[in-house]
Amino acid sequence: MRVKDLNELKKPIVKIDNSLKKLNEKVLFNTKLKKANKILSRVGLPK
Amino acid sequence: MRLERYQLKSEESLHTFEFISEGRNGKVHKIVQFTETNVKSVFNLGFGDKNIETGLVDDSVITNNEDSQKVLVTVASAVFAFTSKYPDCFVFAAGLTKSRTRLYRMGISNNFDDISESFVVYGLLNEEWVIFNKNIEYEAFLVKRKF
Repeated sequence: MRVKDLNELKKPIVKIDNSLKKLNEKVLFNTKLKKANKILSRVGLPK
Repeated sequence: MRLERYQLKSEESLHTFEFISEGRNGKVHKIVQFTETNVKSVFNLGFGDKNIETGLVDDSVITNNEDSQKVLVTVASAVFAFTSKYPDCFVFAAGLTKSRTRLYRMGISNNFDDISESFVVYGLLNEEWVIFNKNIEYEAFLVKRKF
């Protein structure tokens, strides 16, 4: 990834499509979220 | 050099993104979702394929669409967009398996010079978050935008 390149692209990075809002109501990657919570409860954040 | 990426779609809050990978196995709908963890302002990065018939999302499938670099850049674009809207947040990423986490590490390593221009990247090593270093295996990753 080159952030500069991303910024220079004429095409927008993201097109807004609010039909995706319904997906926000669900946790789609629950196993990964559980893993993240487990690790974070153990080690916290960087000091 | 301009790296190729897929067009991302998202709703206004930029928590859930969708794009379509196009490769040797045809069109594959991909979903990227940022979900807040039990730690405030830390969001888990979830990423996987969406079955357009069932609507279910699978993050264990290996798509093998021969466009992994383009997919990686697109997911990185989603992280960039999300952290542009929420610059104080951390994004957590870890694969479900060691080999998946290794792929994440390789993706970060291969693009580290560019990523580190805009992000501080941490790796989890021996129960401690340390600044990311190429060629070291980590259990998980945290990224945060630089100001």
